[in-house]
Amino acid sequence: MNILRRLNNPVLFNEWKMRMRSGRSPWMIFSYLLILGGITLFYIFLETDGGTYYNPNDTRELFMMLSILQLGMIVFVVPGLTSGAISGERERQTLSILLTTNVSATRLILGKWLSSLSFMTFLVFATIPLYAIVFLYGGISPVQVVKVFGFYLITMFGIGSIGVLLSTLIKRTGISTVVTYAIVFGYSIGTMVLAEIIREFIRYQRRMGNLPSSTNSDWTDIIYSLNPLFAILHIFEEGPTNNVGLRYGTWFPAIDPFWYYVIFFGMVTVVCLLLAIYAIHPVRPRLFRAARKEK
Amino acid sequence: MIRIQDLRKRYGKMEALKGLTLEIEKGTVFGFVGPNGAGKSTTMSILATLLEPTSGKAYVGGYEVTERPKEVRKLIGYMPDFFGVYDNLTAEEYLDFYGANYDIPLAERKQIIPQLLELVNLTHKRDAYVDSLSRGMKQRLGLARCLVHNPEVLILDEPASGLDPRARIELREILKELRDMGKTIIISSHILPELAEMCDVIGIVEEGNLVAFGRVDEIYTKMQEKKLLRIRLLDRIEETMEHLRQQPTIAGVTQEGNWIAVGFTGDDQQQVELFRDLAVSGYPVAAFNEDQGDLEEIFLEITKGVGS
Repeated sequence: MNILRRLNNPVLFNEWKMRMRSGRSPWMIFSYLLILGGITLFYIFLETDGGTYYNPNDTRELFMMLSILQLGMIVFVVPGLTSGAISGERERQTLSILLTTNVSATRLILGKWLSSLSFMTFLVFATIPLYAIVFLYGGISPVQVVKVFGFYLITMFGIGSIGVLLSTLIKRTGISTVVTYAIVFGYSIGTMVLAEIIREFIRYQRRMGNLPSSTNSDWTDIIYSLNPLFAILHIFEEGPTNNVGLRYGTWFPAIDPFWYYVIFFGMVTVVCLLLAIYAIHPVRPRLFRAARKEK
Repeated sequence: MIRIQDLRKRYGKMEALKGLTLEIEKGTVFGFVGPNGAGKSTTMSILATLLEPTSGKAYVGGYEVTERPKEVRKLIGYMPDFFGVYDNLTAEEYLDFYGANYDIPLAERKQIIPQLLELVNLTHKRDAYVDSLSRGMKQRLGLARCLVHNPEVLILDEPASGLDPRARIELREILKELRDMGKTIIISSHILPELAEMCDVIGIVEEGNLVAFGRVDEIYTKMQEKKLLRIRLLDRIEETMEHLRQQPTIAGVTQEGNWIAVGFTGDDQQQVELFRDLAVSGYPVAAFNEDQGDLEEIFLEITKGVGS
């Protein structure tokens, strides 16, 4: 009962109502499906050379392409949806009123975060008919499909929580949006570059004989597995990511790198949301207030 | 009901509140008067748990605002000087949203909302989108929103600002009804006569200091002890003003074209002497008027520079 009561979040329900009433939402859904659908159908057109025959063996490639494209869309759309969650309320001059009601900071942040993400989830699920094109020809394991959608969800959670945190910390939506995009793209490209540098450095040291050939490169694999692009490629058993810990038997738990990604983004989500909940308090709870008073 | 003790708020080098102390009893309509930047909104934000004071204490219903904000929020209905509304909601949905935020059950909300809309004369706008309402209507809807959880205290920051005369009158009527309902109301404005009509107690604040506090009639009597004199001069205006400033019975001097407005604290005899002194000293006085009853101007004269 308590969980049900917690789920009964007026901020979340209100956001749902208002978002679906705005004229922008249908256009967003239309544009999203048009871009993804257009590219998918164009890809099929190219594969078939404009003819009528489609090789079912190409399904895997089509599924990969569609999944990566969708990931790109998520990375592009989620910062825009979440980075104005709190600063938008502030600019609309409704935040101070909300903060004087019974709505706790936790309910407010979670409501805003979930409402933005539920719209993105809605967009992703609206693309299922596109995936039906892939399923029509078969060749994709259901586990992979579930993994890909789980991957989307955790990526949305992570990026969305960064957007909400920055929207809480930065007063202007414009600045908050720019910073969120910078962090998300910086992280995506940064992890890629960092992993490449480390890998090349280890290779160089090995060539020079400074490192034994058995030196582990688990750090490289860990960093690769935290990169959204390489992480999704790994789901299709592609890309440079290896199964961490398996080759070198180091202290890293030998689990599928997919789970490293899930754990890392899960942690980012929790930390960012907790910070946002703390930061939104108009009179922030002082951790040592009681201790100071006793003195 | 409300107790403020030595409240101070500092923004960098600027001190917005300089040790404000006051007490408001339950059921009182308290008018918080002062020029812009005097510290009214800062005090109200602190009472509404939105701002932390630099030092001092503020209590609402016995709860200290920084230590027990949750309890304080249940007791207050706060309307800021500027507030936004959600464009895609109707007036009824707007109130329902805030009702839900106060954890009022749906069945109860369905009963309360029509009553609130009736109280603020917006029943006919029940299904109208909030953004289509006029400023006065939005202000009234905001007032209804403050009342959705039936709070004991209403904190209304300049609710009449930007309203046309008709909307002001409507708002005043609603506030009278709320006073009759026994609510403790803190209402701020820089228009003294407007507040004086509906308040029991008035506090005049200037540059973070409370310069006058008491029942409306007491404050009026006190203020009417000070007259506003207007003197029209042909020339030598600066010189005359300097001369007047040196008189012990003069509270303030301002220039308005060829006219000088003077806050005068003396009696009738001293007024005669002042007139004679100006004439004997050779200042070119063309007219000498006594302004009566314009409380707003007297208020401005009295508060001028008090806090500095």
